[in-house]
Amino acid sequence: MNDTPDAPRLYHFAAAFGAGGLLSLMVLFNGTLAAYGSLFFASWVPHLTGSVAALALLIWLRPRRAAAARPPLWTYLGGVSGALTVMLTSATMNTALALSGTIALGLAGQVLFSLFADIRGLFGLPQKMPGPRDYLSLALITAGSLIIIFFGGAS
Amino acid sequence: MIGFAALAVLAGVLVGLSRQINGRLALSTSAMESSFWNHLIGLIFITLAAMAFGGLFAGEPVASPWWAYLGGPVGVIFIAAGSWLIARIGAAQTAMLIIAGQMISGVVLDIILGAPGSPVARGIGVALILAGMWVTRPGRNRT
Repeated sequence: MNDTPDAPRLYHFAAAFGAGGLLSLMVLFNGTLAAYGSLFFASWVPHLTGSVAALALLIWLRPRRAAAARPPLWTYLGGVSGALTVMLTSATMNTALALSGTIALGLAGQVLFSLFADIRGLFGLPQKMPGPRDYLSLALITAGSLIIIFFGGAS
Repeated sequence: MIGFAALAVLAGVLVGLSRQINGRLALSTSAMESSFWNHLIGLIFITLAAMAFGGLFAGEPVASPWWAYLGGPVGVIFIAAGSWLIARIGAAQTAMLIIAGQMISGVVLDIILGAPGSPVARGIGVALILAGMWVTRPGRNRT
């Protein structure tokens, strides 16, 4: 029963966990930029160098397009949502919420949205009903994250 | 205060929204192309916002260490990975595993960099996260 499309394989597992590690590096790099320059600069630089790096990788690897038909125009707007995130977190970080409150509430928003997105199959992605094990896993990971955020250290 | 809390939650929702939209673009194109458009459209948006508000080059950005400029290429891989994963294992699973990886690597980074913090709380937090990953580990039988 492990070949159902919703059962993650080991390489999916490793890739997602590794991506989380990359995110930690991004927070460290971009946060250091923000310590020297403006918050706009700390988001503008990685988007600029990222655009160049992604273009270079596209030219080098030439990945095949999955579908011949052009995707709807709104699918190109994911970057706007990402850029808005940086501005919002920069704004709330400097209130009484501080960094830990900002991260914890952001985590809650992300988890609730992703559950809703799976259940409804939002934006044309496959629909997926979470099972009891998914909710248990989610509760454990959220609890562990909150303990690290609020009691695990200054960062 | 409630207003700022709502904004912080909204920021998390936007992370999920962005991954969902990028994942849909990757379904029609490729994960790398989706990552490229995410960065280019984001760059245009931030440039316009910075022109409207000003202060893009405020402070002393030239003084920052060279390695702080490496966030872009790392982000390209990160966004491509998210776009690839979300269509395969779902939004919730992708989000939870990325959060797990971020939290545990964050603890490791904090220890390497000597950031102050409670070892007990870090230990309990990491243990709970590992238990959560164990619950949805690959290769188990779904019943």
